[in-house]
Amino acid sequence: MAHLSEAFRLSGKDYLREWRISGSFIVALAAVLGPMMVLFGLKFGVIGSMVDELVHDPRNREVLSQGSGRYDLPWIEKMAQRPDVAFIVPRTRRIAADMQLASKVSNKIINVELIPSGAGDPLLEGLGALPSGANQIVLSELAAQKLMVKSGDTIDGSIARMFRGKAERQHLDLKVVVVAPAALFNREAAFVAVDLLQAVEDFRDGHRVASLGWDGVEAPGERIYPGFRLYAKTLDDVAALQKEMIAQGFQVRTRAEDIAVVKDMDRNLTLVFWVIAVIGLAGFALSLGASLLANVDRKRRELSVLRLVGFHTGDIILFPVLQSVFTGLVGWFLASGIFFGVSFVINKLFADQLAEGQSVCRLLPEHFIVALVLTIAAAVIAAMLGGLRASRIEPSEGLRDI
Amino acid sequence: MENSTEALVARPTDKVLIYHLRDVVRTREAEGTAFRLRVPSLQIAMGEKIALIGHSGCGKSTLLDMLAFILQPTESGAFRFRPERTDDPIDIAAYWDKSRQNRLGDLRKKYIGYVMQTGGLVPYLSVRDNMSLSRNLLQMPNNDMAVEELASHLGIRRHLDKFPSALSTGERQRVAIGRALAHRPSIVIADEPTASLDPIAAEKIMNLFIELVDELNITVIVASHAWRHIKKLGLRQLSHRTQRTSDGKLTETVVTG
Repeated sequence: MAHLSEAFRLSGKDYLREWRISGSFIVALAAVLGPMMVLFGLKFGVIGSMVDELVHDPRNREVLSQGSGRYDLPWIEKMAQRPDVAFIVPRTRRIAADMQLASKVSNKIINVELIPSGAGDPLLEGLGALPSGANQIVLSELAAQKLMVKSGDTIDGSIARMFRGKAERQHLDLKVVVVAPAALFNREAAFVAVDLLQAVEDFRDGHRVASLGWDGVEAPGERIYPGFRLYAKTLDDVAALQKEMIAQGFQVRTRAEDIAVVKDMDRNLTLVFWVIAVIGLAGFALSLGASLLANVDRKRRELSVLRLVGFHTGDIILFPVLQSVFTGLVGWFLASGIFFGVSFVINKLFADQLAEGQSVCRLLPEHFIVALVLTIAAAVIAAMLGGLRASRIEPSEGLRDI
Repeated sequence: MENSTEALVARPTDKVLIYHLRDVVRTREAEGTAFRLRVPSLQIAMGEKIALIGHSGCGKSTLLDMLAFILQPTESGAFRFRPERTDDPIDIAAYWDKSRQNRLGDLRKKYIGYVMQTGGLVPYLSVRDNMSLSRNLLQMPNNDMAVEELASHLGIRRHLDKFPSALSTGERQRVAIGRALAHRPSIVIADEPTASLDPIAAEKIMNLFIELVDELNITVIVASHAWRHIKKLGLRQLSHRTQRTSDGKLTETVVTG
């Protein structure tokens, strides 16, 4: 142990004594590693926020049925059980899925589209409330503004039909449970429970709606839905779901292509980054290795003296290796400093275009650790040749050089 | 010249042979000429003070390097080292044969001090650290003032925290002597320790060196090309002669003692 600690101490003293040479290698390393960390930080930050946006916006996980299909309840329920499906509700016919809304405080009467919703709807997740039953409604921000209402207010909803030759209109008191912000949905619309949508459709079709006391003929047989709203569990499930449903003959639309573009970009930029990183680090390792080799020749006499006083072969190998590790450690530290400075400036520049907490250039703690491990590995490999050369110094050879 | 086995028997039994060499040869060939150092027999007793006098290039350094285990003999009939009176002799030739360089390094670390012709100091260590080099490797205590006392004897105490580059040649040689003695080795080998100094400084430092070695009861082997003042110090001289073959291709030095 005395040998190791002495080798550590002496190589450190030598390193400090030659601070000009040591310093220029530290700076050379930081000049390679610093920009590399900034580059990776940019890639990680930009692609990271794009992926974040994709993940956090549930619309990217939506699988939209298109045109008019024929889906029955068992099929909908079967889909709801799938592990790659987060949420599914059936849709009624679009032509029958609207309603006139009026409030006491506004003189405007608006016609809104009704969108089926229910427990677990990812789009309304986080709003704190979901519509259930026939007397609750979630208004889009645009609709709420026109009606001049807020959550908790009660509004009047009405639907009309021609039945047995005469016009009929039914009114419902609807409680606004929450208002969905425009960022989520930017048309005049209302989210309602499937029950209400079905009642509206039944009424329009002239069918009897027993639960609301609306008269009409008995509805024939099983209900067939023309479409649905479906959200995949994760982004990665979207493409597969789309592929499978198209294969089954269903017409669906997703944002799978947008997702694929971001993922491709991530993969390609990662590849480009690694090519640059490997070239940069290899170049640095080569120049450090050559210098350490020259160092060993230059310090031949000193190393011979150390062998003369009894240092072992292994201790002598440690000298260039330890000094190389010092360079790697301090260079990495300096590079991290460069990264923090540059990323601070970059993030400041882009601050206006970013949401709170987002950054264009950022790294995770594990990225710093990976950078350190790679740097130390490159440094140790670079020092090996010098170490080998040092180990071959015969004490008697170098002693009388001068 | 004496026969080694007879000599061994003839010596008093209380004498311990720190070195016992028989038929040790080191050959060096370069550009058609060869140089050979031959030691038919060499015995150095513990506590002896030995001088090796001769002009430069006669093979003094070669012999000293072999005695310090930093140069491998080309051939050796016997090469034994016995640094401790109570221990059995160590077979150095066997260590060389098995390439046990680290083991040889350990012996050097513990038992040998080496003073070179010029400095041989480590430039990035202070005088104190240079003098403590072997002591630290041997994990000897740093708080017993041994280095300070030695530095005082050598007249370099005020330089302890300086670096070698700040010292004169004479002061550096004093540091080198200090380093060779600081860990209380069994033997000190000095290769022309004063050759780079002016005659007055050289004599002063040599006197000081021998005085210290005497005081610490350390065996010493000094190589020098100046016999004049070595003689006054009462050192035993090893006899040697150098001859060249008629074709001039081989120079051979034979050392005995």
